[in-house]
Amino acid sequence: MLKPGDPAPDFAATAHDGRTVRLRDLRGKKVLLWFFPKADTPG
Amino acid sequence: MTILGASFDTPADNAAFAQKFSFPFPLLSDPDRSLALAYGAADDASARSAKRVSCLIDEEGRVLRYYPQVAARDHPAEVLRDLVA
Repeated sequence: MLKPGDPAPDFAATAHDGRTVRLRDLRGKKVLLWFFPKADTPG
Repeated sequence: MTILGASFDTPADNAAFAQKFSFPFPLLSDPDRSLALAYGAADDASARSAKRVSCLIDEEGRVLRYYPQVAARDHPAEVLRDLVA
């Protein structure tokens, strides 16, 4: 399990608008990455 | 602060989801589960759906806080508390 202070694993993934999002491009900002089981399911 | 959602859905499915609820942040597709495996949201590459985990990452790309079990309803308040702490 990831712990505070661990390097966050870098990734590149396709966003819903077709853009590629890379974690390393977001340096300088805080990032909240949250996983959801399936599109359009209730919380 | 950047918010990113992620699931195993296709970009098209995520686009429909984002449009329906007017999410102001990107929803990422992780079809090969590599992102979920790296962040503990899947036990293996055949996982059917992502676990509800979340990770707050600082400005230097380090883990600030890892949330192994997220209750969707309470999570925004929880993260806000950690951001001001």
